[in-house]
Amino acid sequence: MRKYFQAWNIILVAIFVILFFAVLYPILYIFKASFVNPETGAFSLKSYATFLHYPYYLRCLRNSLFVSTLSTVFALAIGIPFAFFLSRYRIPGKNIIRTLGTLPLILPTFIGAEAWLILLGRNGLFAKMFHGIGIEIPSIYGWKGIVLVFTLQFFPFVFLMVSAALNAIDRSLEEAATNLGAGRLRVFFTVTLPVVTPAILSGALVVFYLCIENFGVPVLIGEDFRVLSVQAYNEFISELGGNPSMAGALSMILLAITLGLTIFQKYWVERKNYTMTSLNPLEVKRLRSLPTFLIWFFCAGVVFVALFPFAVVMVSSITKTQGPVMYFGQFSLENFIRAFTIAPRPIFNSFFLATVATLIGIVFGIVVSYLLVRKRGAVSYLLDLLVMLPLAIAGTVQGIALAATYNKGIIVLTGTWTILVLAYFIRKAPYSIKTTSSLLQQIDPSVEEASINLGVPPVRSFIRVVLPIMMPGIIAGAIIMWVTTLAELSSTIVLYYGPWATMTVEIFQRIGSGDFGPASAYATILIISVLIPLFILNRVSGKDLASSL
Amino acid sequence: MRVELTNITKLFGPLKAVDNVSLTIGEGDFFTLLGPSGCGKTTLLRTIAGFYNPDAGEIRFGERLINHIPAHRRETGMVFQNYALFPHLSVFDNIAYGLRARKIPKPEIALRVGRIIKNVQLDGLENRAPSKLSGGQQQRVALARALVISPQILLMDEPLSNLDAKLRVNMREEIRRIQKELGITTIYVTHDQEEAMAVSDRIAILNRGRLEQVGAPAEIYYRPESRFAAEFMGSSNIIEMDVTGWDEDHSRIAAETDGQRFSLRGEKPSGPRITLSVRPEWIRVVAGPRDGGANILPGTVLSSTFLGSMIRYRISGPGGKPVVIEVHDPDEGDIRKDGETLWYQLPPDRPLVIRD
Repeated sequence: MRKYFQAWNIILVAIFVILFFAVLYPILYIFKASFVNPETGAFSLKSYATFLHYPYYLRCLRNSLFVSTLSTVFALAIGIPFAFFLSRYRIPGKNIIRTLGTLPLILPTFIGAEAWLILLGRNGLFAKMFHGIGIEIPSIYGWKGIVLVFTLQFFPFVFLMVSAALNAIDRSLEEAATNLGAGRLRVFFTVTLPVVTPAILSGALVVFYLCIENFGVPVLIGEDFRVLSVQAYNEFISELGGNPSMAGALSMILLAITLGLTIFQKYWVERKNYTMTSLNPLEVKRLRSLPTFLIWFFCAGVVFVALFPFAVVMVSSITKTQGPVMYFGQFSLENFIRAFTIAPRPIFNSFFLATVATLIGIVFGIVVSYLLVRKRGAVSYLLDLLVMLPLAIAGTVQGIALAATYNKGIIVLTGTWTILVLAYFIRKAPYSIKTTSSLLQQIDPSVEEASINLGVPPVRSFIRVVLPIMMPGIIAGAIIMWVTTLAELSSTIVLYYGPWATMTVEIFQRIGSGDFGPASAYATILIISVLIPLFILNRVSGKDLASSL
Repeated sequence: MRVELTNITKLFGPLKAVDNVSLTIGEGDFFTLLGPSGCGKTTLLRTIAGFYNPDAGEIRFGERLINHIPAHRRETGMVFQNYALFPHLSVFDNIAYGLRARKIPKPEIALRVGRIIKNVQLDGLENRAPSKLSGGQQQRVALARALVISPQILLMDEPLSNLDAKLRVNMREEIRRIQKELGITTIYVTHDQEEAMAVSDRIAILNRGRLEQVGAPAEIYYRPESRFAAEFMGSSNIIEMDVTGWDEDHSRIAAETDGQRFSLRGEKPSGPRITLSVRPEWIRVVAGPRDGGANILPGTVLSSTFLGSMIRYRISGPGGKPVVIEVHDPDEGDIRKDGETLWYQLPPDRPLVIRD
């Protein structure tokens, strides 16, 4: 028994060491760098002073807040009614709408951005079509395009959270209000809405967070409209003897925002959530045909507009292209042939890195979940904070921190593929830990004790009893890790070097140089690689994967 | 297998969950640890199973000291409160789990599992998943799984608490039948005194980690040693009196409270006051003050509950404390209304005095 605990203690120390060097130290490193004058090496507030002094930098902050706020408002405007309609009314094709409605949040945002460029960009399909009939449509570049893509890709978070809250309401709650004399509208505004408000707030915070940390969309269609994440990247990349201090300062400002949002979410909003055990869920009402049609039209329309870009990208990939000019209607496999024969390396890189990071993440996730759930105490609280911290750090910031830290010194990782794996696994492990530990929480410790009592030593009992029960959570976590790693752009773009460019990097660069054809081919491979495992898992376990993101 | 606990203490931080408990559980005994929640009974059981290390004291199975034997090598079979069935294994595989861990050859596993399945009446359910079983069936699987390894000692932690009342009665009879058939030493934890009385050879009453009393069910019921034991095992009227005399020849105590004199059977009192524990059904309703000798006193009916075979009165008693009386098989005409006066008698010849 005592030995067993010692084994876990050694593992615990090892995990803290990993977390310290992979998460905490790099952040502290750039924190320190942001206060150092790069020329003299002395302590200096110059970078922060520059930030406050030049309107150029302040505008980045303002832009970030502006697009994030606007996108959040729109995501709420779409997500809330979407959730209400789907959970309270009978609509034809409801299940398909619900499933498709969650897809946008798994599909990479920068591919969405690419699609809108194909449609409404300078050589865009729609842009040219409308131009042909004398209509000038507003430019997609700048904040309008960013808000459009953000809204369409992030509204499902609002939808998922609000529907979860709605489904947790017991019918008796509304019946009680009715019984006390409240009319339909009064019930809605005094009972239903207040009960789901915490969920709405949570959804809003998540969307805001995702917008402000996003890198791919603003960098692709923002053009002169600079946001914080993009500016931090620019400062860091153009650095090379340039200004690590400024990149550090911008990263710290972004980190302060994302961290603040996360803390606010965790300690304020989550606490407001009402937990209910719903015995009888709310009644699903059947409306007359016209209202039903209008509701259906709204929901189906939203899903269509949100997914249409991805269809566009897939069609583009099999369309004859020449640079940014696409000959829609002319079928060609040239893009794929090029991708697979001339430049297959990014495909291999993506799959290889995602697989390695996932495998490490699985082991890490199992061990950490076990420690979190079974060995409660102050240490596990600290572990929980540290391991979940990457969820509050923008990919760009984490990339910059890791690249800067392991650039020189005893451990040099920058410029190797291991730093990519490190970044991926540390950023995605929280998903695995979430799915695994929530399952572990449902397993009573006595199940393990029963095995020990029947003569199987503790560690073997864990392997034979606990592991199999945790398996669905482990698999779900692994798939989420794998697909989100495949789609990861923000940290990759900072950390990759030449031969280790991934598909995401390749797509990003091809779009940048106007090569939409090859970009679409890689994007299509990426979309399919993301959708297939999710589809299989959904079929096998019936689990809505998006909900565990 | 005999189980011997010597001065066992288990601490949880500053809390003494088990406080210096010594017990001997005889070979083949059905021994119950009885007490309210938080009394340390489950902690003691888990210490015997090896899930906790005692902070002091010795545990022996037979002659063998097992303090340092890890839980998986103690050869006990344990039935958990929530059954702890392995959700990913079928009924058969759940039961076979311990045998496989012992590398028993396959044909023998099939034989032994088959036999125990028959004994606990689970025939035909071998391939079911635990989640597809009723509560009673899950309970049987848990029992079979613990028994099939032929453990030296069977440990049961509130095994019936998740079942409904009727099933609980059936299952406890079944557990008792199987235990007698196998003659296995069994340590059983429960907070339900009726269940404890129904199944046990001997009972240990625990209170705040300490042992209150150990004995056969009847022994504890008729001769509780402490107020706690008296009140926990059945219900009892606790009455305090001043000692006025001691008749050594007849072992009788003369006592007084509220100006009323009593004559009681008992040993020489250790102090000026004594405490009595009087079971409600031991108190007799009498016609009047001269009806049958000593210890007769009047009371006013405060409330009554008619239960068919029995009527229960709450009556104003000595010192203003109400007394509960149970009259079995009452005549309809004898039923008293609230506010009526009633004469009753404390039994002169039963041992009523307890240690407080």
